[in-house]
Amino acid sequence: MPMISKILIANRGEIALRVLRACKELGIPCVAVHSTADADAMHVRLADESVCIGPPQARDSYLNIHQIVAACEITGADAVHPGYGFLSENAKFADILEAHGITFIGPTAEHIRLMGDKITAKLTAVELGIPVVPGSDGEVKTEADAIKTAAEIGYPVLIKATAGGGGRGMKLAHSPDDVIEAWSTARSESLAAFGNDAVYMEKYLTTPRHIEVQVFGDGEGNAIHLGERDCSLQRRHQKVWEEANSPALNVEQRMKIGQICADAMKKLKYRGAGTIEFLYENGEFYFIEMNTRLQVEHPVTEAITGIDLVHEQIRVASGGGLSVTQDEVHFQGHAIECRINAEDARTFVPSPGTITHFHAPGGLGVRIDSGVYQGYKIPPYYDSLIGKLIVHGRTRVECMMRLRRALDEFVVDGIKTTLPLFQDLVSNQDIANGDYDIHWLEHYLEKPVE
Amino acid sequence: MADKKPGIDEALIRNLANILNETDLTEIEVEQDDLRIRVSRAGTTQYVQAPMMAAPQQMAAPSAAAVSAGPVVAARNPDNVVSAPMVGTVYMASAPGARAFIEVGAMVKEGQTLLIIEAMKTMNQIPAPKSGKVTEILIEDGRPVEYGEALVIIE
Repeated sequence: MPMISKILIANRGEIALRVLRACKELGIPCVAVHSTADADAMHVRLADESVCIGPPQARDSYLNIHQIVAACEITGADAVHPGYGFLSENAKFADILEAHGITFIGPTAEHIRLMGDKITAKLTAVELGIPVVPGSDGEVKTEADAIKTAAEIGYPVLIKATAGGGGRGMKLAHSPDDVIEAWSTARSESLAAFGNDAVYMEKYLTTPRHIEVQVFGDGEGNAIHLGERDCSLQRRHQKVWEEANSPALNVEQRMKIGQICADAMKKLKYRGAGTIEFLYENGEFYFIEMNTRLQVEHPVTEAITGIDLVHEQIRVASGGGLSVTQDEVHFQGHAIECRINAEDARTFVPSPGTITHFHAPGGLGVRIDSGVYQGYKIPPYYDSLIGKLIVHGRTRVECMMRLRRALDEFVVDGIKTTLPLFQDLVSNQDIANGDYDIHWLEHYLEKPVE
Repeated sequence: MADKKPGIDEALIRNLANILNETDLTEIEVEQDDLRIRVSRAGTTQYVQAPMMAAPQQMAAPSAAAVSAGPVVAARNPDNVVSAPMVGTVYMASAPGARAFIEVGAMVKEGQTLLIIEAMKTMNQIPAPKSGKVTEILIEDGRPVEYGEALVIIE
């Protein structure tokens, strides 16, 4: 792998700025690319060079591989950081860059493909010794099979149509008394809906948490884990609040699941940053998927480990290997990230427009990752994340108190934001106790506003 | 027309009207103490409003150009500007040393190749969007361009 002399950042918004900061700190010149709608964006203003790559629509600009490679050519960039979203998990993009002799700051195209497909990802996880949701080996064909498999997996179980989707052909069974009925109803629903009565069985998790493990590999068989993040507070599968360490895990559990993930990445010879996502219930982890890129919530891990994950990505991509060994990784204190979206705090209706007043909180342990500024006009073409507030404290209690203080200082006028939601959450007793699962926030939002 | 007041000096108005004709102006307005006289040509009664409206529009063009990142020249009629449909390197001829596709003053037909943009090792011929005369060439051979950058003016 060649040394990197200039990095093109194939993204926008706060993550483009995040990557730009790492480039500057490493003394590597960087190129911003942008659509016509983002000509005034902060990452464009701060970059060493910028190239307009297309009209506002992402498919014609930030997703346009042809334009991005051409931008590398005219600027002489020899590496691309894809950020998250857009082309970050596009194996074809990684392939094309490689064919042009440009370094993709991320894993191999092969690993992106492997983890991008749900079925091969789960099979790979099993092979690598990562725990998955227990289920039947393929179709459950007879009543006897249903009873036997359910007993092995443990109740409650979910019976699903192999051809299924959208909740149809899906039945829950709580005990041996209702498993036959659930199995035959699922089959007939499945036949009616999909013309195929094949069903399979999986363990059903009632109140799981979403816990994910940050991993890093050098691509040569060396890999480490950087602990977990608890991202259970979600709305419509969108993470809202992330924290580390998880309030649900103790040190042994943390080190055990972390080691399992690090070992798996060694076996895979994984390169760069990755996140292995799990559902967690009653002390057990169940693999959901692996994200082969930097995550939105990576600053939470940076706060408790002191390791700059983008520095580390660039280092690994340039062949420098990992900067730390597992025993040099220490978890210090507690960190929480709030995703500030340009949305109504209750209805989540997007609120694009001009920011008329902007004041970011400061002080010890407070970090803002945001590309917006006073007078900035939020374009309506992209996602609504306008910034992230990350707060660190020596303990979870200190962190929560600091978060409350920082939220009170934060002013974003002219548009609606999700800041009021976080002000509610930070004073909620369940949140204070760390007592929440992946359904908690949706239930909370269904209740009338006090 | 004039803001009429009793006892107004008719000669003054005639004088103003003469000046209006001599100088080919469309309107003259004079103010003295609390007397105000405006003389203007027929059919332009709304004229007072017009310059007020026109001024910001004329101002808008240069300020837009100043803010824009690329050298997009907004003062020109946008219908005449051929802008880069892609990022790449511009070549004005089919091969190094060959004759340039176009020069200033040349007449071009719609669809005729104006220049080439090289992107991802591919030579992309950029055709004239309409027939007309090349009045300006805004880029040089071998220069990189970004999306939307003005390349050629065809009138």
